[in-house]
Amino acid sequence: MSKFRTIHAIALSVAALLAVPAAHADWKPTKTVEVIVHTGPGGGNDVLGRAIANMMEKEKLLPVRMQVVNKPGGNGAVAAAAISEKKYDPHTIGLITSVWIAGPLTTSEAKITLHDLKPIAQLVREPAVIAVRADSRFKTLKEFIEAAKAKPGSLKQSGGSVTSRDNIVRLSLQHATGAKWAFVSFPGGGERVAALLGGHVDIMVIEPQEAGEQVRAGKLRVLAQLAEPRLAAYPDVPTLKEAGYDVTTTPQIRAVVAPPQMPADAAAYWEERFTKLHETPSWKKYLHDNQLEDAFLHAADLRKSIVETEKQLREQYQLAGIKTVR
Amino acid sequence: MDIFSGLMQGFQVALSANNLLMCVIGVVLGTVIGVLPGLGPPATIAMLLPLTFKLEPTGAMIMLAGIYYGAKYGGSTTSILLNVPGESSSVVTCIDGYQMARKGRAGPALGMAAISSFIAGTFGVVALMLVAPPLAKISLAFSAPEYFALMVFGLTMVVLLAGESLIKAFLSMLVGLWIAGMGTDLFTATSRFTFGRVELLGGIDFIIVAIGVFAVGEVLANMEPAEPAEMLPVPKGLRNLMPTWDDMKRCRFAFVNGSVVGFLIGILPGAGSTIASFMSYGIEKAVSKHPEEFGQGAIEGVAAPEGANNAETGGALVPLLTLGIPGSGTTAILLAALILWGFKPGPLFIQDQPALFWGLVASMYIGNVLLLILNLPLVAVFAQLLKMPGYAMYPLILGVSIVGVYTADSSMFQLGLLAAFGLFGYAMRKLDFPTAPLVLGLVLGDLMEKALRQSLMMSQGDPSILLRPIPSVLLGLAVLLLVGPLFKKFNAFRVKVIDTEA
Repeated sequence: MSKFRTIHAIALSVAALLAVPAAHADWKPTKTVEVIVHTGPGGGNDVLGRAIANMMEKEKLLPVRMQVVNKPGGNGAVAAAAISEKKYDPHTIGLITSVWIAGPLTTSEAKITLHDLKPIAQLVREPAVIAVRADSRFKTLKEFIEAAKAKPGSLKQSGGSVTSRDNIVRLSLQHATGAKWAFVSFPGGGERVAALLGGHVDIMVIEPQEAGEQVRAGKLRVLAQLAEPRLAAYPDVPTLKEAGYDVTTTPQIRAVVAPPQMPADAAAYWEERFTKLHETPSWKKYLHDNQLEDAFLHAADLRKSIVETEKQLREQYQLAGIKTVR
Repeated sequence: MDIFSGLMQGFQVALSANNLLMCVIGVVLGTVIGVLPGLGPPATIAMLLPLTFKLEPTGAMIMLAGIYYGAKYGGSTTSILLNVPGESSSVVTCIDGYQMARKGRAGPALGMAAISSFIAGTFGVVALMLVAPPLAKISLAFSAPEYFALMVFGLTMVVLLAGESLIKAFLSMLVGLWIAGMGTDLFTATSRFTFGRVELLGGIDFIIVAIGVFAVGEVLANMEPAEPAEMLPVPKGLRNLMPTWDDMKRCRFAFVNGSVVGFLIGILPGAGSTIASFMSYGIEKAVSKHPEEFGQGAIEGVAAPEGANNAETGGALVPLLTLGIPGSGTTAILLAALILWGFKPGPLFIQDQPALFWGLVASMYIGNVLLLILNLPLVAVFAQLLKMPGYAMYPLILGVSIVGVYTADSSMFQLGLLAAFGLFGYAMRKLDFPTAPLVLGLVLGDLMEKALRQSLMMSQGDPSILLRPIPSVLLGLAVLLLVGPLFKKFNAFRVKVIDTEA
């Protein structure tokens, strides 16, 4: 009797083992999925995460709920660590931005980099525009750059951290043209705009939507856009390339990643779901409403893109004398 | 936008069902914590802040502001009935308020506190409404050097007025500055004081320090056994609460004095409502025809300080909303709240967020009327709160603090920080270190460092950019104020201004 039971048990486990690949092929989430973001409530990726959760529900793409978990701090380092702690877990994903690539380059405390996480899909690229005050003497980007060349260091740009895209754009333009102007860091977007409107700086790289409000109020003028092709909202503004500056500016992206060693079928499931999401009308409307560029990439291409961006950033930082740690 | 249409829009916002409810919640909560000694507005607002993430920001701001000015109404009740200040800004009300109550005039004292608070509180809102929009336009011309000088001046005032010991106030501020320096430096992307911890890359969250030092520290300090104070009864009936016509006439000057002094002190950084109430009390006594009655139950001694601490609210919101510079612990937390909700307090705030600014102003008119009702006919109800035992209240405060910090980013590390700052706040209280300089050092220090480095980036490293007219005046004043206490006479004057026993 007991022997029979053992054999039975063995048979069952063999059956179970054999069944595994079949079950894997159509893995589906069975409990609430956590979406880890690196901003606090109301921050960029928090908002995107909640929007994705809503769209997934509205378009009936998931059998379970998605829940945003905020892990702010350290330019994504805290969230990266939180995702890597969920090793193997198919019910956790994370939303990243380019900051996650830039952060570990300059901070040794950030032990987990994007290379440790599993790429799923790239979703969007964030465009930007270059703006001056409406009454500025610069009518084109060329005029600004020529003036910066004529009197090196006398013109100023307001922006965020030295590692931010704003500064990368400046560094690339300076490198390509030999012009020189100062970069003044402000922690908040509002302060950067206030500095420009108050006439304390001459130029800034700004989000298209925010610039749009100020342009309508007659306070700002847009000289060029960091988008390819031109944004619908700025049909008459040249892109950097069209303005005569064919420089590499590392794009600002938002993408989905997963914990290390997430089972392949689960990773495939998520890649497929985000591909689906990307095709829905809700998603298209969301991109349009928020003036985001559609920049969907599959996992393999996202990995390449991350490696490439990291390489570019490292070069830019080294050119600018910013210390890199890896 | 002119003031009239702004205010119309504001009332539309403030009178919506949701915002009206938030205003009621705010002022009731404010009155409650005002009445309860040992729980102040900074602690309450810091503690509730994480729980407001999900709320609509205008309503949440209306509620938090309601707590802020509501507490100043409630504080006098405890001062008058118990001779224990419900709030630090009601300390001076104890002197004459309690004497009046002992002489059987508790009713008129409570009534006068509420009426004077209402008059001056409303004056403060009117003045805020008139002063803030034009000041915001002027402050757009302020650049980094001007901001840097403002912060230096603000911190100097904070240190100067925080307590009797300059050294202790200075040390407290330095700890704040040190914490402000933690995290990734914006300008060079270098890590500072992170001790290799990923969690510290973003620096220490101001809210955690505020909740720890204010709420947890206060609870720990209050858990020590204290001698129970005897509470005098509240007279029954509204008629017994109303001051006589003669009382009102005697307080005519006190209303003006409280309103104006309160508002002006409010605008000044560092000098909060406590100092406003002391100053107006001192002025009242100095100009009185019968100064000998002060300390024996003079009703002007209640009217002037209670008015001043309420007019201060309007004043304190001026630099907060137009420059993004807080002048006190409570306004520092309100600043953090606005930033968390994604607003940018500063020169563009009123222009960019008219609904929020005017809605807040309108809600303060409504709130002051509500508070008059809460603190006149209903004062007896709130006085009952003083019978609430500590074992019911303190665990509640601790619970809300912990839940609030944990829900923000579900991190045990942050809870550890909360505990550490709670103990630190308790130790500061025991050792008689003022806590406001720490919190303001943390908030202003961060802004100050950035402003200085922005200035130098703009001038390509030339420090003479700080010698523009406005910065040089402010920096000169700051130096004078710091050198001043070295002279005995000035220091005696300083101590007199802040001395709670005077």
